[in-house]
Amino acid sequence: MIVGNPSAGATRRDESEVTPDARWQGWQRLRSLVRKEFIEIRRDRRTLALIVAVPVILLVIFGYAATFDVHHVPTELVDHDSLAVRAALGAHGDFAVRSGVAGNLGTAEADIQHGRVAVAVVVGADGRPAQVLIDGSNLLTAMTAERELTALQLQSEGALPAMSVVVLYNPSLRSTTFMVPGLVGMIMVQVALVLTALGVVRERERGTIEQLMITPLTKLELMIGKTIPYLLIALADLCFVLLVGWGLFGVPIRGSVFLLFGEAFLFLTATLGMGLLISTVAQTQLQAMQMSVFVQLPQMLLSGLIFPVASMPWGVRWLSYVLPLTYFASVARDVMLKGLGLGDLWSETIVLAGMAVVFVSLAAFRFRKTLD
Amino acid sequence: MIEILADGVVKTFGSTRALDRVDLAVPAGELWGVVGADGAGKTTLLRCIAGLLRVDTGKVLPGQAGQARLGFAQQGFHLYPDLTVEENVAFFGAVYGLHPSAAAANAEELLAFAGLTDRRSSLAGQLSGGMKQKLTLVCSLLHQPPVLLLDEPTTGVDPLSRLEFWDLVEHLHVAGSTVLLASAYFDEVERCDRIVYLDHGRVVASGTPRDLRGEHPTLEDAFLEMIS
Repeated sequence: MIVGNPSAGATRRDESEVTPDARWQGWQRLRSLVRKEFIEIRRDRRTLALIVAVPVILLVIFGYAATFDVHHVPTELVDHDSLAVRAALGAHGDFAVRSGVAGNLGTAEADIQHGRVAVAVVVGADGRPAQVLIDGSNLLTAMTAERELTALQLQSEGALPAMSVVVLYNPSLRSTTFMVPGLVGMIMVQVALVLTALGVVRERERGTIEQLMITPLTKLELMIGKTIPYLLIALADLCFVLLVGWGLFGVPIRGSVFLLFGEAFLFLTATLGMGLLISTVAQTQLQAMQMSVFVQLPQMLLSGLIFPVASMPWGVRWLSYVLPLTYFASVARDVMLKGLGLGDLWSETIVLAGMAVVFVSLAAFRFRKTLD
Repeated sequence: MIEILADGVVKTFGSTRALDRVDLAVPAGELWGVVGADGAGKTTLLRCIAGLLRVDTGKVLPGQAGQARLGFAQQGFHLYPDLTVEENVAFFGAVYGLHPSAAAANAEELLAFAGLTDRRSSLAGQLSGGMKQKLTLVCSLLHQPPVLLLDEPTTGVDPLSRLEFWDLVEHLHVAGSTVLLASAYFDEVERCDRIVYLDHGRVVASGTPRDLRGEHPTLEDAFLEMIS
């Protein structure tokens, strides 16, 4: 056996000189590399979990929840009841017409403002619909309602004659008016979740956290100190997005700016807690990034940011209800587009506050000041 | 008075027993060295003594409760590479709870002591290996701890920087600090008052350099004979 041939590799060999042995050795090297990668993946349980979980989650989200098909739009009749109108609207399952009738236009507008219904059909004394009010703050629902109403008019053989359609809160159904309030939440998720997780894991990767552990810095101080910068950056981002949304795209803020910032603070605290929680599980920045994406994706697709939560099947809708963005996206639209106040949004506020407490407590529980 | 103590310390990681009933007691003002091969348990022992790892059984001092009296320069570079020397020192001074004026005075003295005054504006990540170790030592000494743990402080450092670093350690020793130093280099621990030989998590011998060397030409020879 020749060991350490000094001329080996010193000169570039011509391709024609590659012997079957050399080809076999190349194949062996390649096989070893592939085998080594599989061993590493198998032993890295976090990556393995992501490999298995990501396709399952994406299949569930895109297969069931992230759908452009809107069904069962909550609808009510106003002024007078009409069996013919009810039958026409309910024929294809696109509209879910509530029993009972709203007494007047004011009541119907209040029902839309508070999200109890998305469509209100004003029925005249002759039993024929005269006007339709549509909630424009949820773009997909509004566009579907408008389109389906037109289709139903053509099919209803007179039960649904031409009506004047009034779209509330987003009259021209502009997508920017719909997207900006939700986007505010998404941008804050990006900053608060990803940067916080990376910030803590970077300390661990560099070993600086070990040096901090020997100082009198408490666990709580370390957690708060690592999160405050990202909280401030996210709030600055909120100001920027709101200003650009208002100045450049004309997205209004009809409600209280202070309320919006208060809700954003609760939402950010919950998201920072999630970021810290990720940092207690991830060992490397790459793992932290993978886990952040894993948490971000459902927030983007299941929170009602794009696809209406009400149209998702019950099996996956519960996932939406454990995501902070589901509540914040709704609150942001309600405050910015509908001008709702704290009295109307107390239930979402309580849920956001509860989530903030739960995620921060879980992170604090797992965050350790020893290396064990 | 015993400043550094490990009393019957056992520490396991999964099925691996990293420390097996380790005993040592360093009196105030002494310089002790722990020597052993890679994986012998030196870093684990120092981390347990510093309270960074919980021991399974046994007792340690200073431990987590006594961290305020402790300076710990850990193996490798554990400071912020994107901060300057001065910013790192100011940060750790603040984290140790020093008043800004006291922190600045200590930093000034320690940077001069370590020969880093001229590099105060350099990014820590751009320092040489020896300078990084000195900066680590400076940051560990800011709160003037009476007890100092040094984990392989000269690994990967050039010979001249090693000598300079040892001058600093001996200076601290003479000034009254209690020091426990882990090293893989026998010529280094020979400078200590007492040496503890660690092998596979067990103390195999302990004594003064002269006692341990005995008739052997070097400490290393004595150690190799002992573990064989």
